[in-house]
Amino acid sequence: MNSRTIVAALFLGTCLATPLAAQDNMDKLTSMQRTDATFTTIAQDDERAAALKEILPHLKVPDGFAVSLYAVVPDARSMAVAPQGTVTFVGTRKDKVWSVVDRDRNRVADEVKDFAPSVTFDLPNGPCFSPDGFLYIAERNRVLVFPAAEFFFEGPDPAVGVVVEKGKLIPAEEESFNHTARVCRVGPDGKLYISLGQPHNIPPVDKHEMYAETGIGGIIRMKNDGTEREVFTRGIRNSVGHDFNPANGDLWFTDNQVDGMGDDLPPGELNRQTKAGQHFGFPWVNGAVEIPDYKDVPRPEGVEFIAPAAEMQAHAADLGMRFYTGKSFPEKYHGGIFSAQHGSWNRTTPVGARVMFTPVDAEGNAGAPEVFAEGWLDSETGEYRGRPMDIAFLPDGSMLVSDDFAGAIWRIARQAE
Amino acid sequence: MRRVLLLALGGLMLAGGAMADVTGNREAGRKLAGQCRTCHGLDGKAQMPIAPHIGGESEEYLRTQLAAFRDGTREHEMMTIVAKNLTDQQIADLAAWFGGHKPTATLKADPAGAPEQCVACHGPDGIRVIDEAPNLAGETNIYIDTQLKAFRSGARKNDIMGPVAAEMTDEEIRAVADWYAAVGIEIEMVE
Repeated sequence: MNSRTIVAALFLGTCLATPLAAQDNMDKLTSMQRTDATFTTIAQDDERAAALKEILPHLKVPDGFAVSLYAVVPDARSMAVAPQGTVTFVGTRKDKVWSVVDRDRNRVADEVKDFAPSVTFDLPNGPCFSPDGFLYIAERNRVLVFPAAEFFFEGPDPAVGVVVEKGKLIPAEEESFNHTARVCRVGPDGKLYISLGQPHNIPPVDKHEMYAETGIGGIIRMKNDGTEREVFTRGIRNSVGHDFNPANGDLWFTDNQVDGMGDDLPPGELNRQTKAGQHFGFPWVNGAVEIPDYKDVPRPEGVEFIAPAAEMQAHAADLGMRFYTGKSFPEKYHGGIFSAQHGSWNRTTPVGARVMFTPVDAEGNAGAPEVFAEGWLDSETGEYRGRPMDIAFLPDGSMLVSDDFAGAIWRIARQAE
Repeated sequence: MRRVLLLALGGLMLAGGAMADVTGNREAGRKLAGQCRTCHGLDGKAQMPIAPHIGGESEEYLRTQLAAFRDGTREHEMMTIVAKNLTDQQIADLAAWFGGHKPTATLKADPAGAPEQCVACHGPDGIRVIDEAPNLAGETNIYIDTQLKAFRSGARKNDIMGPVAAEMTDEEIRAVADWYAAVGIEIEMVE
């Protein structure tokens, strides 16, 4: 959507909205009216921040790196760093999107407040930016766009447009809470790519065809005005992280595998998609592991299941991921993938709560994943100190790690020489 | 309202009947709770937004829900797996452990503003009035919202909540969810 379309859409909104009673503030906002919304601000220097800093000595990063507390951000989930790098927008699985502001560029947030408090958000997990500064937010069952969000975030009533109307992302009766954390990215083609987790451990057999048509258990793409929607990726269980390889445009994504098959099955997945419409096997398989419930269900005809590009430890819950495009990390990390492991929830011995690195070579193939940062899991007690959820990078090439358990964003940077 | 309470009583007797002869053991429940704590905390105070607070629910409610997850009448990506292999005794033990903690709600708003269709069972502050109802104090609004919509669509079944939710719009559901989510909750762990 270019700015002219937005203005036209806003103008149209004005004509349409005026005679209607306001259901929520969307009517007012799309017609550029003010609301009486006020900000919620999160203190950055209280006991909470002090408690978070006490976690730092437990965190382990490679030699030559240092980890610090970037911001106190309750329920911090997927992140989108704005083009200028002044503001990082952070989704939650609650009702807030946070603006995390670093005006003085000292790499510690100066201010954390809720973005667009006038909008009634519903599980706004997934923010993403277009290169020209439009912020998209994928909610449980709606997609919104905020033009020039990096500048309009200062006021409580930013301009907003609707990309996918409420109830049109998935059928309302398929809404759940758990496998419903959407992630979005703007692809090299300028389209929006949004993951839709399927709301079961294993989907009921009588639903799998409807899910396949809707793109539930997949990644859908659409133009940035919501038109030309199609299912781009098929055969996923619940992906909560995807990103494009800037070198060749391949789409990579993590997936969370079936529970209830034991502590070490099936392995976690990092997948690589090279063509539209590829199928990654679920619910028939998770990688090389067959799902017993679908043993006798006919597989889609003429479809080859794509095997994972790399396997991760079972149940470690690989979520947010991003290619490294910065320069400040050593050469070995350039062009590779950093991904966050949220940590297991019912494995006998908990695993995960780490940041992983997977190299990607010049042909676009994955190497062996390795641990980059860990220590959020207390291995003695099995308790979490924090749970990494997503990875983002500031313009200086340093890494942000969101943590929805501790309620923090950690920063990992090359240590000053 | 009398009809609602009668229905509630009926539900209570039915649900209670299934496991009425099993007595929960709190010590055994505490050990079993190791598999619950990543999401619900050992004291039953939720560790993540998707999980409800279960510390200090009635044993009756906890038993009914675990049994419903086990037999598939209530479905959830995670709970369905966890509950699948629980015995009646284990369900009773878990209910005894989590049901024995003490929740305290702090309502900052004027109780007169409480959602009138909810207070008879859930109280203005979200501490239950009848044992078949869960506490709602301090739950994440999206959790309450999700449950009400599931009752409305029939995905989660309950003789009382089905008809109540059927009458509610999305906006009314969210307003109710916001009311109870705004209540402060403390849970005292009782060993």
